Formats: sequence, C-alpha cells, structure tokens
Amino acid sequence: MDTATPQVGVALGSEHGLVAQIRLAQGRRHAEQLAPAIEYLLREAQAQPSDLAAIAVGVGPGLFTGLRVGVTTAKVMAQALEIPVVPVPSLDLVAYPVRFTARVIAAVCDARRGEVFYSVYRTVPGGVQRAGEYRVGAPGEVAAELVATGEDLLLVGDGISAHRQMFEDELDRAEFASTSFAYPSPSALVELACSRYRREDFVRASEVQPLYLRKSDAEIAWGPDRAGHEGAP
Amino acid sequence: MSLRTQSVEETRDLGEALAALLWPGDVVVLAGDLGTGKTALAQGIGRGLGIAEAIVSPSFVIVREYAGRISLVHVDVYRLDFVQELHDLGFEEVLDEERVTLIEWGDRVTGLLPEERLEVTLRAAEGPATRDIEWVALGPAWLERSDALAKALSPWALPGDGGRSC
Repeated sequence: MDTATPQVGVALGSEHGLVAQIRLAQGRRHAEQLAPAIEYLLREAQAQPSDLAAIAVGVGPGLFTGLRVGVTTAKVMAQALEIPVVPVPSLDLVAYPVRFTARVIAAVCDARRGEVFYSVYRTVPGGVQRAGEYRVGAPGEVAAELVATGEDLLLVGDGISAHRQMFEDELDRAEFASTSFAYPSPSALVELACSRYRREDFVRASEVQPLYLRKSDAEIAWGPDRAGHEGAP
Repeated sequence: MSLRTQSVEETRDLGEALAALLWPGDVVVLAGDLGTGKTALAQGIGRGLGIAEAIVSPSFVIVREYAGRISLVHVDVYRLDFVQELHDLGFEEVLDEERVTLIEWGDRVTGLLPEERLEVTLRAAEGPATRDIEWVALGPAWLERSDALAKALSPWALPGDGGRSC
C-alpha cells in the first residue's frame, strides 16, 4: 500500500508478479478508503490475510495526512499477521514506472505550502538507481538545481503538474511524463518489494519509519506569558 | 485599526462580522494573552461560517476541524514547545485551500505561516470584559479586502480612529 500522495494505492502480488491493484485518487479520503480497498482486493483475489507473506508500504516522502494512514495500517497488519514489512520510498514508486528512457528521471511530488519532495534517478538494467537524497524544496529552486545538472531530464510526479508552467519555462529541453504516472505506482511497489523480500531485505513492523523531510530544531518563542506546561490550562 | 468590545458576546459578534469576509484558504492568526477572548472570537467566526457544531478550545487536542458553509480548522499552539511538533501534526497540510484556518497564538510561529494572512490581536482593557482588538492584513489578497474589513468591523471602531489606510 502507498498513501503518500492524494492517491490511495493498494496492490497484491505473488511470486509470479502483480495479481491485482487499486488506485483511488480523490484526495483526503485515505482513512476511509484504504482498509475497504485492501479488503476488496483480497476478496476478489480469493486470498486471506493469513496468505500474506509480507506487507510492502510506501514510506514517503509524502503528505503527512495520508502517509500516516498507510504506514500505520501496514504496521498493524504486519504485527497482527506476524509478517515482515518491506518499506519502499514513495518517490521510487513514481520513478520506476517511467524507467524505459535514456533520460535522467526527476520524481517530484507535491508537498503543499509551495514546496515539492523530489529525488533524481538514473536508469539501470531492470530498474532505477537513485542519484541523490530525498529532499524537500521550493519548485523554483528544484528547477534551477535540475537545470544545473545539464542532463536530459524526464520529469514525473504530481509536483510537476502542480507547477507545470514554471517547470516548462525553466526546463525547456525536459520531457514531462503524462499524468497517468503522477502518483506512486502500486504495481511498482509489488515489483520492487518482491525482489527485496526475496533478498530478505525487510524489517519488523516496529522498525518502519515514514520519511519526514521537514525537520526543525527550533523552539517556539514563548515569553513569560507561558511558563512551560505547568502554567497551561 | 483599533476596535473595542465590551463583552464576550460582543467579541463573538465581531468574529461573525469578520467571517463574512473570509474566503476558503484564509489563515487568521489570533493573538493575545490567556482569557482575552481568542476562543470567543473563533466561536463568532465559526457562527459566521455557518458552523452548527459548538466551537470549543482546541488547546488540548491542538487541532479541531469543523464543517460549515466554509469549513474551519481551529488550531492552538499554546501547548507546544517545538516547531517540530507542528511538523509532526502535518501542519503544512492543516493549512489548506478549501478551509479557513484560525491559529491561536499563531504569532509565535509566523515562520511556518503563509505570508498572506490576517493577524488579530486582543488585549484586556479597562473594565473586566473590555477588550481592545487590532488587526493587520498581510499580503495582497488581504490588502484588497482591508477597506471592506474596516467597514464590516466599524461598529466596534474606537471613537476618533479613522481606520488604517492600506
């Protein structure tokens, strides 16, 4: 499952690959839609939760509201079923489906508040390889950074759609993936997670951490008007 | 611009008048010491936004959400110590384009707020329930509305205060 963007994505895979997937992109309905989507998918695939060998989950970076629904659901299911979790960064799930290109892929997701989450990938045989950190920044700065690489680029993700004009103006030689590729792909999650599962590259439910890129050490500037929690009503 | 209310109910009425000028996506900072009427103002704004549910202080749960003609998010940062706690609440997504967001003590976390916002400050004045209230409109969308806002809030204008030209 991946809920790091406005999309709710659920997929079921077997040793033969993708069995089924659901993608709902209505935004803000993760908590209502995720569990029923999982239930429907399992039922129609004639599978039981006890048939599952592992839970794969997109861990962002992404929108907090959705992300915590997916990560929590994945953890709870894994814990109840006593199976491992394969955490996969959601931006990888945006880049992977567009890997049939000679270009460098920039996966860019909308972070709200005028910012985007992004990472850059090179294609390698059978997949993509990340060529930088997962980061958060203003779209204009991201565009300038991408221009500075001098690479031929393929831009993909809902962060591109949200700032399309600016990216087009700044990156006149770039290609833009269509909106069908804008959200993390649940089938990509099956592919990437299955190969990691085979390598036993997984973790316990308690070890799963979402990727939150917004960090701050700042204290809120309280004066004498609030002398710590003791004084709070 | 300086305003004055003489009772909690009047502060609510002022909030209701203010609400008529709010658009989805607006962020309103409510500043002022404890007991100056930030929540009362929020209750009036809620009434003006067509929210039927009773608006209560969000101090304990930090964020409360209400559905109305325009939906409302009511935030209180009073119990928080670190900016990270706001990130951990998904604060960036709390501020969304479809709802009005009120932030009590928001003057303490302006670094996280959009530049476009209305700041309302309440101060206790002489008289037990008398409050002096000032507002500052920040950003083009608010400057555009500041004349209308001054007019809507004129019933509470202090005598002799000609209003603020923006």
